[in-house]
This record gives sequence, C-alpha cells and structure tokens, in this order.
Amino acid sequence: MHTTDLLSSAFTALRRNTGRSTLTMLGIVIGVGSVVLMSSVGASMERVILSQISSLGSKSMVIFPGSNQEGGASQVFAGHDSLTFEDIERLEQLTTIESVAPIVFMPGPVKRGREESSAQILGAHPNFFHNQNMEAAEGRLIDTFDEDRSARFAVLGPDAKEELFGESDPLGKEITVGERSFTIVGVTKPLGSQFFQNADDRIYVPLSVARQETGQKYASYITMLATDSFDIAFADVKGLLRSHHKIENPKDDPEKDDFIVRSSEQANDILSSVSLGLTLFITTVAAISLLVGGIGIMNIMLVTVTERTREIGLRKALGARPRDILLQFLAESIALTFLGGVIGLGFGLGFGFLIAIIVERFLSTYEFVVSMPSMIASLIMACLTGVIFGISPARKASLLDPVESLRYE
Amino acid sequence: MPPLISLTGLHKSYFNEEVETPVLHGIDLKIDSGEFIAIMGPSGSGKSTLMHILGFLDRPTKGTYAFLGEDTSEKNDDALALIRATKVSFVFQAFHLLPRATVLENVMLPLLYHPGIAPSDREAYARKAIASVGLSDRESFLSSQLSGGQKQRTAIARALVTEPALIFADEPTGNLDSASGLQVMEVLEKLNAAGHTIILVTHERSTAEFADRIVHIKDGLIESDTRSHKRRRASADVKLK
Repeated sequence: MHTTDLLSSAFTALRRNTGRSTLTMLGIVIGVGSVVLMSSVGASMERVILSQISSLGSKSMVIFPGSNQEGGASQVFAGHDSLTFEDIERLEQLTTIESVAPIVFMPGPVKRGREESSAQILGAHPNFFHNQNMEAAEGRLIDTFDEDRSARFAVLGPDAKEELFGESDPLGKEITVGERSFTIVGVTKPLGSQFFQNADDRIYVPLSVARQETGQKYASYITMLATDSFDIAFADVKGLLRSHHKIENPKDDPEKDDFIVRSSEQANDILSSVSLGLTLFITTVAAISLLVGGIGIMNIMLVTVTERTREIGLRKALGARPRDILLQFLAESIALTFLGGVIGLGFGLGFGFLIAIIVERFLSTYEFVVSMPSMIASLIMACLTGVIFGISPARKASLLDPVESLRYE
Repeated sequence: MPPLISLTGLHKSYFNEEVETPVLHGIDLKIDSGEFIAIMGPSGSGKSTLMHILGFLDRPTKGTYAFLGEDTSEKNDDALALIRATKVSFVFQAFHLLPRATVLENVMLPLLYHPGIAPSDREAYARKAIASVGLSDRESFLSSQLSGGQKQRTAIARALVTEPALIFADEPTGNLDSASGLQVMEVLEKLNAAGHTIILVTHERSTAEFADRIVHIKDGLIESDTRSHKRRRASADVKLK
C-alpha cells in the first residue's frame, strides 16, 4: 500500500465520520491550542520584560526603600525614610558607580487650564535621564543648570503631553502642579512600560524643586549606573548602605536590609526562572491534555476497529497484509491527532492574536509573538500521541482473522 | 502444465480450549485452469472451510495444497496475502461492499494491495471491470444506492479487476431474488467462457448446474465428483476483457 493511499484512506475515513472525528479531536485541539496560546502569550510577555530590561541597560540598578520578606518576596515601602540624601552623597563617591540619580515623587494634580492629567510627577536629578537611556523627542531634558537654580521647568512624557496638549506644541507653555506653575521645556521619546507601569505618562521636574515643594528628606528611589564591573558595584552599594544604616549582615541576607537593590541582571534572572516555570506549566498542561485526548482517541479507534471488523476481513481477503491494516488504522489515528493539532494551532494563534489586540491597548510594547518551536513541538507531540494511542487498536485490527472478521455481525 | 490446484490428504480441525473439532477429513482434489467447478454440500459439510483454505484465508491442519504446482504450506502470511492480492479473488454472499464508497471506489479497492498495478492505472482497470458487468452507468453511485443484483455485479467487478487466475464465489445468489441471481450466474458463466477459473460454493442445485463439474462434500469428505450437464451457456459473442 502506497503512502498516498494510506493518507487518502485515513482522511476519507475521518471525513465519513465527521461528527465523531471532531469530538475525538477535541482533546488534542484543546491541548495544542492551549500550549500554543500560552507559549505565544509567554513569549510576548518575555519580549515586553526584556525590552524593559534592555531599555535600562545592563549596568543599571535601582534602590528602593523597604525589605525582602521571607520566602523571597520583596516589599517596597513607598514613603519609607531609609534612603537619605546622605546615602546618595556617599554612593556618589564610590568609584564603581558612574552616576547616581535620586527621585522624589511629587503630589498632583497636574492641570493645564481645564485639562487635568493623572500623570505621575517625578522630581528627577539630571543623571536620571542618562541612567534610563532617555532622550528628548522635542525641546530638551532637565539639565544641571535647571537643577542648580531650581528652575520651574517640566519635561513631559509622550502620554502626558497627549493628555494635556493633544496635537498642539507644548514647548514654552505652562502647566500647574499643585499651586505652582511650570514651563514645558521638552517632551521625552516614548519608553513604553517599565515593570508594567506606563513610563510615558510621567512629568519630570528638577529634583531640587520637588524637594523644596514636598520638604522630603529622603529619596523615593535611586537609579544608578555601574562604571565597569556590575558585580563589584552591586556589592559596594550594599556594603556602603549596610555600614551607613548600621546593619550587620555578613551572610548577605536580604531580609535584614532596609533597602532593596534591583538590577537588570536580577530582572534577567527572575525572567529566566519565570520562563522556566512557564515552560514547566505549559509542558504539564500539554501532557495532561494530550494524555486525555490520547485516551479518547484510543477508545474511538477501538470502537472503529470493532465497527469495521468486516471491512478488515474484506481487505485481508483482497490481499491486505497485516502490516497494511496496521498502517491504515495507525494513519487514521495520526491523521486525527495531526488534524486536531492543526486546528488547535489555529485556535491558539487566533486567541493569542485577540489577546494581543486587547493587551496592546494597556501595554503599548506588547506585541503578538508566534513561538515557532512550541508550534512545531506541539504538532510533533500531537502526532506522537496518535502513534502511542493508535498503535494498540491498529495492532488489534491487523491481527484479526479474516474468516472470522468476514462473518462478524 | 501442473493443475491450478492440487490437494492431497487435506485435513482441517478447529481447536477450542484443546477440544478438537475436525471439519475436513482428508480431501484429495485437482482443479485445472479454466474450469467452472461447483462445491456443494449441506450446511456444516465443510464446503466453506474448504473454500477458505483454497482461497488462502485459512490454512490446513494437515495435508498439502499445491497452487500452480507450488506447495503453499511453508508460505508466510505476507506471501499468502500476495497470492490473494494477485492470483485469487472472492465474490461473497453478503457482497461485502463498502457502503459509503462509490461503485468505482469499491472496485478499485483490491488494486490498493496489488503491487503490479500502478496507482495511475487503477481507474482504467476498474472502469474496464465495471463495464464488463454492465454497470458503467452506476460507476458514481454509492453501493448503498444499488439493488441486490447490482451490488453482486459490483462485487464481481471487484473480483475481476486484478485479473486473477481464480475466482471464488461463495453462495453468490444467496441474497438475491431469482431474476437477479440468474443475471449474476450468467455473468460468472461469461467470465468462465472468457477463460477465468471459477469455484462456486453453493447448496443450491439449480445454481450448481451452471458449473462444468460438481463436487459434493459430506462430513468433511468428497462424496462425489461429477461432470455436469450445463443448464445454459453464455453467448459466445460477449466480450469480457
């Protein structure tokens, strides 16, 4: 029997039992569909996170006030007073640190005439823009001169600009933050989201102004760039802060610290462990779905063999070898799982695309990603399920006695 | 030239949990190419078992079966399947057509297993066989849409399509009315006239009378082997191939 005959016979058999074939395939459709969907969403999220990490640069780190909790979870205490400006002066003296930029949050609201914005207001040191790889799309960023003379200038993120000014030119125009007026000197290029927060819906004012307005004696958080070796800088920063905060922590236990140092390197590590977790999760879902789907296929193939006993007898009488019968039923079972796999692939990609359309509205850097390896792996797994669960019914068919089969009622 | 079939001391027993049920008790039989032979006998006489052995669907327990001069007892399942695919074919009482396949698809079915006929030639072979049983106008009909007589003629076309040396007909008129049965027997008679060897298994004397030779079996032994006076003969001008 030729391969083309096997394929044609398998697909003809499926077509003649469309309803049953569809129901039988459902397990495989769900299994492959969910794997493809999760892989696509996982890959999209990984890309979002990676783009956020790479936008920070490999030598970037951020210090938050707060502490790491038992079990590895970290708790950032907004408004906590552990990061003082004395810490910042000391950090600036470290030779392993290239630049330090503290941030102080300022309360709103932000208004322009009757337009109001929900943008976050950051009192940022000029180094902040360097540390974050930020550039101006229009006008300029806040510089040391603005900082030193506490100029009431503001730089808008692209979303904040859109909210307050729409299509009109914001440069030289005024906004009010609280009771104070600020002149717009620039608009930043889009950053997208950082750690799932929209980094474009921000307004930056000089750090000195924010400190004066809020009277705050501590930084909301600090961004830094290492000069060369990131690991040494990382250790230096922790050592310095522990010594200044009088924290005995020889075993480097993050639970004892009153600060949390986050780096793009750590984010990469977290991403790797999340990716591994996601992969394990997807594999488990796939294995369970394919197992359930495979049992369904085995069951239906056994019923099919029983129903078609006389046909098997006839085929043997017409010259089919046991191997021909085995391959015919195996081909049917593989055709079922392959077709289920292809339909599942379509559903998975379709839903992944729909999710991307929805999520893109909230997370501008999210984009639909097709995970080719997982698609190929899913299809191969589906076909293997057909082989594993189809072999026993196919073997049973191939061993049937032709005379008995022809007499079967 | 050796006989087409030569049986010597053929025995067949069935075993059920070590209980032996003998069916054939030592059959000696020779059949030459081109013969139209009827095997007759009452129910349980062993005629169907003999046909299954002759058609390589079953194996004898003892004795030798030489086909075209070659002993078949040492042949494995694949070799017997190859003989079934190329040298012998069957027409069954219950037709055994695939109900959701067309006449053409049913007739093409044996060609799937015939190693000597290329896939591209299958349709031509099948159409020729269908034409020879007068069903060309029903080619695209599903077998479930055919009358009993048409179904059996489709089964005969299926048996013919591989151009076998030997055709077995197992009670071919058993499920047909007398008019359709007559038509089917006439087709078999024409096939024999065209050179096909036909072994007919029946318990009806009127059907057996179409054969040249009638072998009676009783209790697993040949009771008689006689030349028959043919009731009718197909017209010589019918072209089958």
